[in-house]
Amino acid sequence: MDLQLALIFLQQGIASGLVSGSIYALLALAIVIIFKTSEVPNFAQGEVFMAAGYVALYLFVFQKLPIWIVLPATLVAAFLAMALFRRIVLDQVAKSAKDLVYLVIATLGLSYVLKGLVRRTGFGDTPRSFPALVPTDSVMIGQASVTILDLTILGAALAVMAAFFWMFNYTKMGRAMRAVGMNPKAAQLVGVDLKRCHMTIWGMSGVISAIAALLIAPKILMTADMGSIVMLAFAAAIVGGFSSLPGAIVGGFIIGIVENMVGLFISSRAIVLAPFLAILIVLVIRPQGLFGGKLTIKKV
Amino acid sequence: MIVTTSPATISPAPRRAASATAIAGLVIAALVAIALPAFTTGYVIYIANLLLVFVVLCLGLHIVIGETGQFSMAHAAFYGIGIYASALANRAVDLPYPFAMLFGALVAGAVGLFIGALALRMRDIYLALATFAFGEAMQWVFANWDSVTNGPNGLRISPARFGSLEILSDKQAYPFVVLFCVLMIGLTILISRSRLGRAFRAVRESEVAAMAMGIDVRRTRVIAFGLSAAIAGFAGGMFGLFQTFIHPDSLGFQTTILVLTMVVVGGLGSIVGAVGGAIVFGLISEVLRQAPQYQEIIYGGILILFMMYAPRGLFAFIGDRIKEVRRGQ
Amino acid sequence: MASEPFLDVQGLTIRFGGLTAVGGFDMAVAKGSIHALIGPNGAGKSTTFNCISRFYTPSEGRILFDGQDITRLPARAMAGLGVARSFQNLELFSELSVFENVLIGAHVHAGRSWRDAISARPAEIGEHVEHLLERTGLADYAQTKARNLDFGHQKMVEIARALAMRPKLLLLDEPAAGLRNREIAALDRLLCELRERDGLTIVLVEHVMQLVMSISDRITVLSFGTKIAEGTAAEVRAHPAVIEAYLGRETTHA
Repeated sequence: MDLQLALIFLQQGIASGLVSGSIYALLALAIVIIFKTSEVPNFAQGEVFMAAGYVALYLFVFQKLPIWIVLPATLVAAFLAMALFRRIVLDQVAKSAKDLVYLVIATLGLSYVLKGLVRRTGFGDTPRSFPALVPTDSVMIGQASVTILDLTILGAALAVMAAFFWMFNYTKMGRAMRAVGMNPKAAQLVGVDLKRCHMTIWGMSGVISAIAALLIAPKILMTADMGSIVMLAFAAAIVGGFSSLPGAIVGGFIIGIVENMVGLFISSRAIVLAPFLAILIVLVIRPQGLFGGKLTIKKV
Repeated sequence: MIVTTSPATISPAPRRAASATAIAGLVIAALVAIALPAFTTGYVIYIANLLLVFVVLCLGLHIVIGETGQFSMAHAAFYGIGIYASALANRAVDLPYPFAMLFGALVAGAVGLFIGALALRMRDIYLALATFAFGEAMQWVFANWDSVTNGPNGLRISPARFGSLEILSDKQAYPFVVLFCVLMIGLTILISRSRLGRAFRAVRESEVAAMAMGIDVRRTRVIAFGLSAAIAGFAGGMFGLFQTFIHPDSLGFQTTILVLTMVVVGGLGSIVGAVGGAIVFGLISEVLRQAPQYQEIIYGGILILFMMYAPRGLFAFIGDRIKEVRRGQ
Repeated sequence: MASEPFLDVQGLTIRFGGLTAVGGFDMAVAKGSIHALIGPNGAGKSTTFNCISRFYTPSEGRILFDGQDITRLPARAMAGLGVARSFQNLELFSELSVFENVLIGAHVHAGRSWRDAISARPAEIGEHVEHLLERTGLADYAQTKARNLDFGHQKMVEIARALAMRPKLLLLDEPAAGLRNREIAALDRLLCELRERDGLTIVLVEHVMQLVMSISDRITVLSFGTKIAEGTAAEVRAHPAVIEAYLGRETTHA
């Protein structure tokens, strides 16, 4: 490969990586906000993303509802599904078993139920495509070719992240969430409604996943297995340290770029290995992740 | 307190009732297992063989989840490593098949130790995630390492040999499968009762206390993970006793979830639960084969419902209900 | 009392971030004695305790046990050296039986031979565990899950488990907290017996003055991370700095 081509590949890899990375970053953010507050890695995050995509597909393509109804309806559905799962299922699990293992298994159960449900509806049988709402014309940035849709995805994802950060850092609700993340018992003592706070966080995590699904849906063929990209989001979260919100986002972009580079420079068959290799490298070189702090001492 | 105060203890009766139910079930299962070949068809024997392989897979997962309280989401991968490694060893050298099985278990165990040692450098949640990623990666390797695994075409497994005896049918394999399954149950019980098993449980219950007792927490976790991977690899070798073909598609996350569901249904933390769960849920999933479109919903639903209402598993749940009924009379 | 201290804490300083929790703390514990570490809440007692048991690492200073520098050893090495500890907030293996809890206490002794290592009840160790259960009044509860015991018995399991390590030095973190008077009296008897009959050296952090004053050979008083007094029960009780530190607090629980 000559240098000229390598440079073009490099630019293309970064541009495409930022676009797919923004989706991984959103999903990683959704995973990390739950982990920070519930200490549960939600293995159903990918299926929530997938199911939200199908809800939008059903409403928009099959029911032919206008987009200004489809978008909020999808987000509300994702919020409710996750909030209710937290409230009805996980609160009951936490009541009957103290160990975190049980909560994690319950999220695995949810992932299977969602996947099975989508397949049952019949929409999940064949790959479907979601119509793009913005033009897919190409534009050149440097020597990389991207579409208007790509730029919209990146822009919208960044806007969602900014909105979430503002909420998390500057509103009363965000303060309550941070308090729960640091010390749930103390947060409860100062008047945070723990159950409601958890429901809100899980709901928001659902909304963020749904937004990711709505953004990426026009670019991919939808199948009931599309939730498996969550692996890349988990990798992103690990790269970022798993409990850092900025870490999740930076990790998402890193994973997106690495994935595209592997595809361009090595082989598209090897893309599947990218998340595993990324996790492995982080575990070897910097196990606490890029943004993860030192482990705190457990008080005894 | 040495003067005995009111003993606020709950009697061990529900546990006893639970294990009585489970043991009765196991005895029946054992009798059925012995009598089986006499009056059934080859297909039933095939299912029985497969079920016993899953019993061993469940024992492996039991060591890591049940005893040590940590996650492995790559059990299908270790199982697969065991299948390929023992099949290839069996083809390469002319030794009795158990050597190939041991080789499969060793390779799986060594890979398990390596992954576990890496992942456990950080908090235990990384083990779940790293093994999840590892499982996906291994399935890719099985499907793409053409020169070794024959890639997506699947690998033909040559018949297992015991000296001059060549195993060509499910019925012939059955007594060996039963034997190896019983051996693994015995081994798991031995480990669980031993000093190492106590260390596993100590780590599960309280890391700081385990440390104060002189237990190397990280090393104990890595050992549990490696041991669990080796047992899964051994199950892979058992699979090669009666199967003639392996395809990467059957070594995905679905299989890991199936084994996890079995252990959960039987009850996390008890060997009886792991074995009973494999048998009970193995039979259920065989019935579910009639309705594949509901399979995922049912697996997922079972996981959720058990976690919500019967986290200690089916046998403990039944035992508790029996006790309630008795108390009601 | 031996002239050479059995446990020697020299110039212990522990900082968390910019905050000095304990500064330049010295303490010498004589072999075969019961030495109490007391002080108002937040004085740094538990932090010091966790340093000695090697769960925290001090920023400065040395800890010598039986002449050996243990300042940098990992916590899991303590059991092998003969230093056992209990936990203030109970760290029991709650899903396991009382017998198994105490048996795991003997972990470092249970691997002497292959037979022992694979046995569910290594012969000599099993007897020792039963003997300990007798002594701590837990014999009737051997097969009960630890989480199903009442609080007083759970505290006793902590001590029995620590004793199963066959320690030379026993570190107890608030063993009497939350106990009823009758239970405190039993604990008092047990600890005195361990000193007299077994020659055990005991260091305890404790708030229950009734127990501290009755059993301690020596008492060290910590306030705001520094030592303000040391001596026998009578000396400490009369010490002006101690009275000052405890002002407004009861010095004795009746």
